[in-house]
Amino acid sequence: MRIVVGIKWVPNTQAVRFDPETGTLIRKGVPSIVNPHDLPAVEAALRLREKTGGEVIAISMAPPPAVKGLELVLGMGVDRAILVTDRAFAGADTWATSYVLSHAIRKIAAEIGEVDLAIFGHETIDSSTSHVQAQVASWLDWPYLYYVKRVEPVGGKLLRVWRELEDYEEEYEVETPAVLSIAIKAFKPRPVSLSSKLRAKLEKRVLTWTNADLKLDPRCVGLKGSPTIVAKTIDMPEVPRKKEVYRPKDGKDAARWIIAKMVHDEKLREVLKGLVGGEL
Amino acid sequence: MNKFDVVVVGAGPAGSTAAYLLAKAGLKVLLLERGRGAGSKLLWGGKAYAQPLRDVWPELDKEAPIHRWVTKERISVLWGERAITLEYKLGRRVAFTSPLTELAAWMARKAEAAGALFLDEVVVEEIVVKDGRVVGVRSGGDFVAADVVIDAEGANRLLLEKLGLADRPNPYHMAVAAKEVISLDPRLIEERFGLERDEGLSWLVLGDVTLGIPGGGFVYTMRDTISIGIVLNVGYGAEAAEKGVLRDHISRLLENFRTHPYFRHYWKEADVIEYGGRMTVEGGLRFAPKRLYANGLLVVGDAAGMLVNAGYTIRGVDTAVTSARVAAEAVLEARDKGGFTEENLRGYEERLRKSYVYKELVDHSGVAEIFGDPFFFSKVPPFLVRAASKVFEADYAEPTLLEALKTSAQEEEINMLRLMLKVGRVVRRI
Amino acid sequence: MSQPSRLRPLKLEELLRRNVWDVDEERHIEILRQDGLPQKALQLLCPMGCYSMAGDKLLMSYEGCVECGTCRVLSTPQQIRWEFPKSGRGIQYRYT
Ligand SMILES: Cc1cc2nc3c(=O)[nH]c(=O)nc-3n(C[C@H](O)[C@H](O)[C@H](O)COP(=O)(O)OP(=O)(O)OC[C@H]3O[C@@H](n4cnc5c(N)ncnc54)[C@H](O)[C@@H]3O)c2cc1C
Ligand code: SF4
Repeated sequence: MRIVVGIKWVPNTQAVRFDPETGTLIRKGVPSIVNPHDLPAVEAALRLREKTGGEVIAISMAPPPAVKGLELVLGMGVDRAILVTDRAFAGADTWATSYVLSHAIRKIAAEIGEVDLAIFGHETIDSSTSHVQAQVASWLDWPYLYYVKRVEPVGGKLLRVWRELEDYEEEYEVETPAVLSIAIKAFKPRPVSLSSKLRAKLEKRVLTWTNADLKLDPRCVGLKGSPTIVAKTIDMPEVPRKKEVYRPKDGKDAARWIIAKMVHDEKLREVLKGLVGGEL
Repeated sequence: MNKFDVVVVGAGPAGSTAAYLLAKAGLKVLLLERGRGAGSKLLWGGKAYAQPLRDVWPELDKEAPIHRWVTKERISVLWGERAITLEYKLGRRVAFTSPLTELAAWMARKAEAAGALFLDEVVVEEIVVKDGRVVGVRSGGDFVAADVVIDAEGANRLLLEKLGLADRPNPYHMAVAAKEVISLDPRLIEERFGLERDEGLSWLVLGDVTLGIPGGGFVYTMRDTISIGIVLNVGYGAEAAEKGVLRDHISRLLENFRTHPYFRHYWKEADVIEYGGRMTVEGGLRFAPKRLYANGLLVVGDAAGMLVNAGYTIRGVDTAVTSARVAAEAVLEARDKGGFTEENLRGYEERLRKSYVYKELVDHSGVAEIFGDPFFFSKVPPFLVRAASKVFEADYAEPTLLEALKTSAQEEEINMLRLMLKVGRVVRRI
Repeated sequence: MSQPSRLRPLKLEELLRRNVWDVDEERHIEILRQDGLPQKALQLLCPMGCYSMAGDKLLMSYEGCVECGTCRVLSTPQQIRWEFPKSGRGIQYRYT
């Protein structure tokens, strides 16, 4: 089985600081990381490969420093990585991103070999749209399953896939090629291993593709190919944090105490109202 | 594929030096680092002595991330709002400042450029011994074989402890630091500290910045940042905490230092951009492992105790580099003798003993011992400051220096004779 | 005029917000046994304030740890399990 995993190189949002004087985000010196929710997707791909054989290819549309992120997933055991990078791709929204990624997947199929599965993380910590996966599936015209928490090969082109929903789960049989997006924390990512790192480094397993390779219409990629318009951004009020210790008698007592807190705390009520969009 | 001539554990100054020299000599070298990139786990005060580094990289002055050449050394004794400061203006380029994150990254790049294979994000979990000799390292389930392993893991010697070559350290032999990086326009740094472009300052502070607990404060000027920190001996610090002498968190001591009226104008209007901590060794020789070399193994840098720390000043980078250089020479010598047996690696310790590092360590071991004496941190500073105040803050006739010292000693309940003896011992061994 | 981060004393929490970590989901340091731990020393000397009291017990939050090893030398292996975070995770110093 040949599995492609999408990796996003994102600013480490927990380290991005807000400058109250200028009202902007301070990103200077903040290193980027692999989107944490992509790591369970990598893990899912690696486990599937362990069962079916084949290879896992990580792919990322990102500026060149993202090579560090691809090295991390290579260190986890991914077989090779492709960095799709070009000035022309900069400023892409999810539409243009998925367009480029789907073409990269097609190119993998054409040049490396048939692709059976494309796996993504559930969402990214810097934008949380969860659009790209679905759009890639649309461009490729492949079936798409999300909130996936378990995947098992059945044989032939069939996979059994379990989706996790609020209070039940669904079981599917899906024919490959397909696109899956993995539920947050569904798989515990393995640490980087010495042998995988070594292999990645010695065998130079990162390929770089630019638009000279993909040959996409410049009007369809990057900022030009992005129909999304950010109309307005609203900052959520910061929830003031307080620390209080309460020793409940039992679960019920604990719940009662928390609810009472929420109802009686002015600030919290404001925030909740904002979230619900009306009276409580 | 999984076989190297040399595996070096840790891409700190010591590890990268060894990897650089051995790769340059044509050996197949693997340099392993647990952090993301070399330097990402490192923090220091900020000053490196250049000559020992030039011995390895003659191109140092041109290529290394040198922020400023130290032209001013200051030592202050602080008690309350009063301070005595001694300043020395240097006459030549002896030491430079740089963030260790940058300096260590540069050293690792040099090693890579020389042909060493550098892998980051890899935690080595074990140095593997078979039939009485070290045969490689293990990380996770993976084993990598090596003819010789160089342990450059730094002060947290998890690997040497596992091997039984070192014990868990005595807290009194360790010191912990909290440090802030303050961002400031280079021109303001120069203006406020009285420096020319590319000139830097190194400033050590003793006294109640540590509440009299053995340790001290430091200030180093980088190009566009200032590094300030508080160092506390872990053993004495813990004792002070349990006894209630130390009631505030170490970061609070640093805050008090940063906002102290004597210092705060230097970084007025400036912002703290990073805060961190790291532990270091105090009193190098006492920290040396049971052996510095064994069949197929050499220990270098902090892990080997190759660090001069007299409580208030820490000097470990040049000594780490030198110990690693000496180790690399010993490895090449052993190769020419036909193998990395204990016998053939003996040259390491012999060469080390002849190097300045060893002399420095031996000479300073006494100082470390003496400065391990809390007396110097809790009693001497208030005494000196009090004596100075008598001389400089006399409304009418000022006392002679001797009178000032005598009465201050009485007031601080210090036995002059005991003091003289102790000072005499320090001066002889400093 | 408000001076958000200039010069005035900063709280530890504010200082920590200036740093970068890539926090692992798995904890690399864990208290195994409470007896005999130097509670005050751990609270005051851990530079990142990772140790705090919850009732009469010490609580260890590994997220802000900079892997300095101080708590390690103040305890025994039976009291605290101490490892390095894997895969380059943990503190990412930039200017130190
Ligand atoms: C607060 C403070 C201030 C200081 N100020 C100065 C100063 O002004 N001047 C000076 O010269 N010295 C100073 N020092 C000392 C100096 O920083 C050290 O002596 C020096 O860094 C030692 O170099 P090293 O290579 O031996 O070890 P380290 O620099 O500690 O490097 C060890 C490396 O090994 C890695 N590592 C450890 N274990 C493993 C493992 N199991 N697997 C993989 N990788 C591993 C670590 O991540 C690290 O990168 C200071 C130290 C401190 C703490
Ligand atoms: S290793 Fe250092 S930073 Fe981490 S918890 Fe222990 S004392 Fe705190």
